[in-house]
Amino acid sequence: MSVDRNMRILVVDDAQTMRRIIVNLLRQLGFTNMTEADDGTTAWERLNGEHIDLIISDWNMPKMTGIELLKKVRESEKYKLTPFIMVTAEGKRENVIAAVQAGVSNYIVKPFNAATLKEKMTKVIGMF
Amino acid sequence: MSSFENLSLSQRIAALEAAEHGDMIPAEQVRELVAAVKEMFGQEGDKPNTTEKLYHELGELAKFINNAKKELHEVKGSSIAEEHLPNAANQLDAIVNMTEQATGRIMDECDRLTMFHNDLRERLIAMDPPLDPDGLAGVEDAINQAATSITHIFEACNFQDITGQRVQKVVRALQEIERQVLRMVVVFGLLENKDKLDAETAAELQEDAALLNGPQLSGQGLDQDEIDSILSKLL
Repeated sequence: MSVDRNMRILVVDDAQTMRRIIVNLLRQLGFTNMTEADDGTTAWERLNGEHIDLIISDWNMPKMTGIELLKKVRESEKYKLTPFIMVTAEGKRENVIAAVQAGVSNYIVKPFNAATLKEKMTKVIGMF
Repeated sequence: MSSFENLSLSQRIAALEAAEHGDMIPAEQVRELVAAVKEMFGQEGDKPNTTEKLYHELGELAKFINNAKKELHEVKGSSIAEEHLPNAANQLDAIVNMTEQATGRIMDECDRLTMFHNDLRERLIAMDPPLDPDGLAGVEDAINQAATSITHIFEACNFQDITGQRVQKVVRALQEIERQVLRMVVVFGLLENKDKLDAETAAELQEDAALLNGPQLSGQGLDQDEIDSILSKLL
């Protein structure tokens, strides 16, 4: 089954620059349906307001961090199986373990490039 | 060298005490004893006590941080200085904001380039009479290469987020160091200057020390003028 390039992707990061980079790289990879949130709280509202197929989130954010958002997402009936990729500068072993224990689908350490994003996306949603 | 000189200080004092009333004590021995006593007390008398020394060290550190912040503020020739930002932490915040804006402009231009390339591709395809297929393929290839370069520019813009996060950590560390040093300066200053400070100034400083006791929240705590005022009262 081929990946739906029109899948709804939520990009969560408090840095507008990083959101733009991720959205642009996703566009380069052929994805067309992205939405953004600048922290975990806004992302959670967005998740409850519409259907999201994939979440790409930063770790360090005000109000609600990426790991807190991940835990909420995994506790939710609606999103407990939704792919969740953590994109963060936090490359410490304990962070990766904490994210895996919370149910992250994959983990990207900043800085990253389009090839890394594609590789991780492929592992999470299949070949595209 | 006299034999008296080879004795310890206590032995010299004992030798003098043992002298019979009316005995003549050589002036040389008295001079040596006085010199030895002066040397011993002089060394200790010149040495500041540990608290005072520590206080002065802290004072120097606080002045250094304060001066460094002012020097940063006085840097001319850039829009940072023109904005007259009040302290080093704000300057670093400004650097993050400026790089974010610059990165945004770079990405805006990349988006425009992508738009131009797409427009160019459509125009070439729609040309009448049509372009030679090989020529069109060559242009298409060049446009794709340009698109790859644009993607690389976007990837390179990662730096802004990474440097921004690191600078924020430095800003937080700077704020904490400054707060702790100032707090110690005030506490030691109150002890060292208790006889010189009037009751009102001492009360003000105690209030300042209390303010410096916890993490400073935005819009609270001490501003640059207040910090200068504390240092001028104590150092």
